[in-house]
Amino acid sequence: MASDAATALPTRDAVRDPVLLLPLVVAAGLAVGRLGVHERVAGTRIAADLALSWALIAASLVALERPRWRRTRWLLAATPFALLGADLEWASSPALWTLGFLVEGLWAASLVQVVLTFPEGRPWSRPARIALLAAYTITLGGQLAGGLVAPDARDLLSVASQPSVAEAIDRAQGIAGVGVALAALFVVVQRVRTLGRPARRAQGPLLLAAAITALAGLVWLGWVIADDARVPTLETIARALALTIPVGIVVGIGWSRLRRPQASELVVELRSEAATTMRERLARALGDPTLDVAYRLGDGRYVDAAGGPVELPQRADRAVTAVSVRGEEIAALVHDPALLDEPALVESVRATAALVLENERLAAEVRSQLAEVRASRGRIVAAADAERRRIERNLHDGAQQRLVTLSVALGLEASRADRATADVLARAQEEVEQAVGELRELARGIHPTLLRDEGLTAAVEALARRTPLPVTVESSARDRLPDAVELAAYFVVSEALTNVVKHASATQASVLLEREPATLHVTVTDDGVGGAHLTPGSGLAGLRDRLEALDATLSIESDAAHGTSVGAVFPCGS
Amino acid sequence: MLIVDDHQPFRAVARELLESAGYIVAGEAADAAGALAAVAAHAPDAVLLDVQLPDRDGFAVATELAAADGPTVVLISSRDADDYGRRVAACGARGFIPKSRLSAAAVAALLD
Repeated sequence: MASDAATALPTRDAVRDPVLLLPLVVAAGLAVGRLGVHERVAGTRIAADLALSWALIAASLVALERPRWRRTRWLLAATPFALLGADLEWASSPALWTLGFLVEGLWAASLVQVVLTFPEGRPWSRPARIALLAAYTITLGGQLAGGLVAPDARDLLSVASQPSVAEAIDRAQGIAGVGVALAALFVVVQRVRTLGRPARRAQGPLLLAAAITALAGLVWLGWVIADDARVPTLETIARALALTIPVGIVVGIGWSRLRRPQASELVVELRSEAATTMRERLARALGDPTLDVAYRLGDGRYVDAAGGPVELPQRADRAVTAVSVRGEEIAALVHDPALLDEPALVESVRATAALVLENERLAAEVRSQLAEVRASRGRIVAAADAERRRIERNLHDGAQQRLVTLSVALGLEASRADRATADVLARAQEEVEQAVGELRELARGIHPTLLRDEGLTAAVEALARRTPLPVTVESSARDRLPDAVELAAYFVVSEALTNVVKHASATQASVLLEREPATLHVTVTDDGVGGAHLTPGSGLAGLRDRLEALDATLSIESDAAHGTSVGAVFPCGS
Repeated sequence: MLIVDDHQPFRAVARELLESAGYIVAGEAADAAGALAAVAAHAPDAVLLDVQLPDRDGFAVATELAAADGPTVVLISSRDADDYGRRVAACGARGFIPKSRLSAAAVAALLD
C-alpha cells in the first residue's frame, strides 16, 4: 500500500543549524586557552567549565532529532561562549578583563532562558517572560553597575573605586537572584501542571532538573547572603549545579525514545481489545489521551466517527497530522504538539493505521450522510408546516373573510325585506354560514390557530370539546414545546380521536399528555371495541414520516376487552 | 360605536347593520393603532373589535382599553371563540361574536 509522508512537520533548515556553532566553540576555547588564563584558575573550576560546556553541546546534538527545538539548540550551543567569556576575568588585558567582568553571569541567565522557553524557544507565559527579563537585567545590568565602582586596576568602566559599594551591589545581585530563582520555580511548577502526557514524557526530566537546581540554588544563595561569605568555590558549585539542565534534556529525549513502541507493538496496540474505538487505539498507541481523529470526506469537510461535523483546530496547543492513502488525505490526527517531536513514532502509527482509518472513514461518511438525510427530512417537514400555516392564514384572510361579509350582508337584507324575500335570504345565509363553518374546520385541520397561539394543551382541550363524545384531557405539558413536536403531537391526538368517533363505538375517550424532562408522552385511550391497527394508508400511519423526522415512536394497543390505546413518545429536551 | 376591522367591505356592512338598528357609528379603523386613536378622538360607548388586525391583535387592544377604563369592547372574528381559548375571557372584553353570526340582535344582547 502506498502511503505518503505525514504533513505538518517543520522542514529542517540545515544551513541555519546550530551544529555550525560547535567548531566556533572549540576555536573560542582554544583562543581563551592561548591567553593563558587557565594557568591562573583552580583546576576544579576549569573542570566544571569544561564539563558544563560539553554537556550543553552534547544536549544540543542529541536534540538534533527534534526539529521544533531548533531555537533551544541554538541557545544550548551558544551558552559555552558565555562560560568562556566569564573566564576572561583572569586575563591581564584591561579590555578582556572588563568584557569578562560584564558577562560574568550571562551563562546563568542563558540557562534560565533555556528552561523558561523549553522546548520551542519561546517563553511559556507572561510570568516566564518577566522572570527571564529579570534574570538578564540582574546579570548584565548588575555587572555594569558593579563595573563603575569595581576596585580593580584593569576595569575600564571604573569611575571611582568603591569597594563597599561594589560589595553592596554584589549582595543586591544575590538577593535579586533568589527572587528570580523563586519566580522560575513557580513558573516551572505551573508549566508541569499544564503539560500533556506526551510533552511531560520528553520535557519532564528537564523541568524536574530545573526545579531541583532552582531549589538548590535558593538554599545556597540564602546561605551565602546570610553568612556574608564569599566562597572561593562559588563559581565552581554554580557550574556543577547547572550541569543538571543539559543532563535533564538528554535524559528526557532518551526516556521518550525508550518508551516509544516498535512498529510490531503498534500493530498489537491498534488491535487491542481494551480500546473500543479507533480514536482510543491511536491514543493508546501514541500515548496521547487527548488525541482525536477527524475523517476527511470527499467534499473536504471533516467529521468524527459518528459522522458529526468537526472543525480542525488552529491553535498553538493542538497539532494536526494528515493521514493520506494513495495521495488522498483520508483523515487528520489532532494531537498534542509534543508528538511532533517524535515524527518517527507518528509516521509508523500513521502507516499502520491508514488502512483501518480508510474503512472508518467510509463508515463515518455513511453516518454523516445519514445524519444529513435526517436533517433534510426535518427541514422538509418544517417547510411543509410553514406552508400549512401560510395556507391557513390565506384561507382566513381571503375566502373566509369574504364569505363572512356576505353572510352578514344577507342577514341584514333579510331583516328588512318582505317575508318571501326574507325567507330566501335567510336560507342563503344559512348556506353561506355552513360554508364558513366547513372552511373553518378545514383551516383548523391544516394548522390550528390555538396551537400556534396557546400551545398543545389548549389546542387539545379545544379539540376534545369539539369531539362529539365525552373526552377528558389530562396534561402536564403546560410549557411550550418545539413547533414541530406540538404540531405532530396534535395531529396524533386529532387522528386518534377521529378514529375513535368513526370506528370504535366508544362511549368515552381520554387524552393524556405527560411532559417528562426529555420526552413528551401522548396517549389516547377509548373504551371501544378495539381491533385498530396501523394499516398503511390510515391517518395515523400517514403521520409516520412526520414522527420519524422527530425521532418519535408511535404504538397502538387494541383489543375488545380494553378498547384502543394509541401512544406516541417524542424526544424533546427541556 | 366604533368599528375596527381590516376588511373594508365588512366594515361597510357592519356600519349599515348597526345604523339600521339605531346605533350611531362614530368612526371606523383598520388596525390597532387607528383603533386607539379613534377611541381617543371620538370617545365611543362601545367598540366592535376584530381579533385579527395587521399590527397587533384585538386582545391586546381590548386589554389596553379595559386597563384605561375605556369603552365596552365586543370582539368579533371569522374564527370561533374556541379557536382562541382563554384569551377571550382574559382580555376584558364584554363578549365575543363570530362574524358570520353578527346581527343587531347579537350586539344588543351583549351591550344591554
